[in-house]
Amino acid sequence: MRPDYDVVVIGAGPAGSIAARTAAQAGLSTLLIEKRQEIGSPVRCGEAAGRDTLEKFIPLDPKWIAAEVDCYSLSNPQGDCVVLPSLEKTLVLERKIFDRELAHSAAKAGAEVVVKTRATGLMRNGDGVTGVKMVAQGEPREVHARAVIAADGTESQSARWAGLKSIPQLKDYYSAAQYLVAGVDMNPRICQYHIGWSIAPGGYCWVFPKGDRQANIGIVMWVDPKETKPAIRYLDEFIAARFPGKSVLSQVVGGIPITNVIPEMVADGFMVVGDAAHQSDPLTAGGITNSMQGGQFAAEVAVEAIKSGDTSAKFLKKYEQLWDAEYGKLYRRLYRIRHAFLKVPEDKISRMIADASRMDSQKMSLRDIFTIVLKTHPQLLLEVAPYFLGQ
Amino acid sequence: MTDKGGGMKEAEMGPTRTSTSELYVAVNYDHCSYCGACVAVCPPDCITLHDATLIVDTEACTLCRRCIPACPTGALTLEGVV
Repeated sequence: MRPDYDVVVIGAGPAGSIAARTAAQAGLSTLLIEKRQEIGSPVRCGEAAGRDTLEKFIPLDPKWIAAEVDCYSLSNPQGDCVVLPSLEKTLVLERKIFDRELAHSAAKAGAEVVVKTRATGLMRNGDGVTGVKMVAQGEPREVHARAVIAADGTESQSARWAGLKSIPQLKDYYSAAQYLVAGVDMNPRICQYHIGWSIAPGGYCWVFPKGDRQANIGIVMWVDPKETKPAIRYLDEFIAARFPGKSVLSQVVGGIPITNVIPEMVADGFMVVGDAAHQSDPLTAGGITNSMQGGQFAAEVAVEAIKSGDTSAKFLKKYEQLWDAEYGKLYRRLYRIRHAFLKVPEDKISRMIADASRMDSQKMSLRDIFTIVLKTHPQLLLEVAPYFLGQ
Repeated sequence: MTDKGGGMKEAEMGPTRTSTSELYVAVNYDHCSYCGACVAVCPPDCITLHDATLIVDTEACTLCRRCIPACPTGALTLEGVV
């Protein structure tokens, strides 16, 4: 490790590794630090992502693909189920291997990657960020950087250190838990989503195939101060009812900010990406490829900034603009849809799914869906129709 | 690792601590998975996560309680007597 780099990236998840790779590819000296001793572990993710989008960032490799999926299903607590084709083919990943491969691709591009190195603060010059204070393998260090890219995840502290408003409100936060379950009998080409207040208040449960009869079975639920049961207990009940007696091979939990990105993602010499910038999609909380895109945008702007000798917040704002052009409209809409759904009682959501399940999903048109919603809960249609009509 | 304001000690004592008139957020380490879901929503940034250690700085804690429902495993509870 040297005393200074052009770019220091904090956190070797998908956003951080893509950022480091992009900076290194452009010829910048780049350091990528990971606080854990093993990149990709523990996995904190449902592991599903769109195939074509992934392929834009990394050649597909069977060693990190656990399953390939063409359809998704929506189920209600009564067991009615409607199966719909995915907009894009979906891959269920083996994130432990995937994350390490992404970091490897950053290393191959010339970035220096180190593990067991955690950021403990930012070096500052007035308002500007000039580097990262860290503890590397137990040794305190100060490393100068012309730009710092923070990809330190949900629990990011570096965004706060830089003075950005990164604390999510509870209404914009999911509490999440997931088990890797063995011996699950399911259609391995379908990702299942289970919806209902009694199953997952303000969220949903998922069952994603992981090959060899394994499945990621997880939950995201809203954070309600009046709630007395934590996410993992809801998940236990869901599994006890549907997959009783199955073996659990791993357990992960975490929080996901779904704010529709933080208001400011840059400061002088500083940018924030991925979950640290709340870049997961504000409806489903999926965030793998979105975060990778965030990392790429940030690094591209950092490259331009460093080459032009101006890493002020004013210049780096270009990254916010790139993000907003790609995701802004969609995210604002998904955010509204989520909040519209939060007003719909369980019996109405269940009835909509039950009505849809009685139709031939291959022939089901948008009009059919609208009719079902209109019959059951017309307010919802008013709020979500613009999204489906692409406005 | 810093033991800020004796937070760890108090948290470890957990529900057995009743001799004080102050409320505090306690961590049940049998449930905690060190995921950091609580860290993100803590306004005064008084929860420190470092490997398999989670410390609530009870001096800095404002008892806003946002961390409690955010925890996916129910590891955080409000303890003490008024």
